[in-house]
Amino acid sequence: MADIVRKQMVAVEGATVRERLQAMDDSAVVTAFLGGEERAFSELVTRYQTRLLNFVYRTIGDREKAEDLVQEVFIRVYRHLHRFDRSKKFSTWVYTIASNLAKNELRNRSRNPLVLFQTVQKNFQDEDRPLQFEDPNSRPDDMYRKRHLREIVEESVAKLPEHHRNVFILRELEGKSYEEIAEITDCNLGTVKSRLNRARNSFAEIIAPYVD
Amino acid sequence: MDCREFCDKHVAFVDDTLAGIELVRMQRHIAECESCAKHDAKVRRALLIFRNLPSIELSAGFSQRLEARLRRECQSEDLFANTQRNLRRGAIAATLASAAMLGYIATTLYESDSPRDLVMPPVVASLPEPELTPITTSTPAIVASVSAGLTIWPAALFAEQVPTRFAHSKLELANYTR
Repeated sequence: MADIVRKQMVAVEGATVRERLQAMDDSAVVTAFLGGEERAFSELVTRYQTRLLNFVYRTIGDREKAEDLVQEVFIRVYRHLHRFDRSKKFSTWVYTIASNLAKNELRNRSRNPLVLFQTVQKNFQDEDRPLQFEDPNSRPDDMYRKRHLREIVEESVAKLPEHHRNVFILRELEGKSYEEIAEITDCNLGTVKSRLNRARNSFAEIIAPYVD
Repeated sequence: MDCREFCDKHVAFVDDTLAGIELVRMQRHIAECESCAKHDAKVRRALLIFRNLPSIELSAGFSQRLEARLRRECQSEDLFANTQRNLRRGAIAATLASAAMLGYIATTLYESDSPRDLVMPPVVASLPEPELTPITTSTPAIVASVSAGLTIWPAALFAEQVPTRFAHSKLELANYTR
């Protein structure tokens, strides 16, 4: 009986801690983790995992590899969180790590064409791409059009030069400010604006024939 | 406003970060310039499509895999901490041993500095045996003269008078008789 009560109390306490962590901002969660609260790290993972996956996926275009890289991001965060400068934004730091990993991945691919070939081949075999985002009640031709459009958009993004694509995704998908993008990509504000302008124009040009 | 200025400020225009007056000037330009109006519409439509791209969800095993990797990370961190601790202990032990060794050396040196009578082994003197250096003569003919101004004796006669220690010299009696 005492055991059950103790377990219930631990569960209630756990739930309370989780709720408290959910209500905190990133900086406070980081502080809690550094103070010895292990559950705080799970909270950070929950907050960023999907956003980072989308960011990395849109940058490198390989879903499986994107998941691996997101895991690597969290491992690095776990390893180096004590060194994180808490006067800065946690999200900027996390995106910087993710951006660097994605950049390295693209660089490795360009150096090793075999990896690129394997990735492309894997993507072609991967016919079970997630369709859950598309409304199952849609008509088949609608679904086809949507899937087709999504593929076209992804291909159009992939056609952008790497440094343009990075800025473009951070701004349009992640909604980062110019200053944050400058910090993440290690560029000055002027470069960010210029790259963003070029990326937008290029993307609009590439996709225009498909949507007109 | 000309088209070039419009293009330069288009990023801020799309992001709605222009100041009021600039915003009005941009809008006026769009109303006047068909080409820029088309460009603006094209970019906005493209961005709308991109922003509405469906989000990618994590695969089912993602959390488990991440947890496993984090656990491994914790273990390696513990291992690292243990190694560090052992190294620290080893370093302390080595320091103590070094200190003890230095103390011993210092004590030894200090004691050796104090004056002390030297105990030397006894010296035994002995007469060295005379060395016998044989006088070698190449040929009996060489000793045929003496530097004392005496008359020259025949080599054979001189050879007869030499001490026995020259006996080993190979001297041959000359036979002057025919």
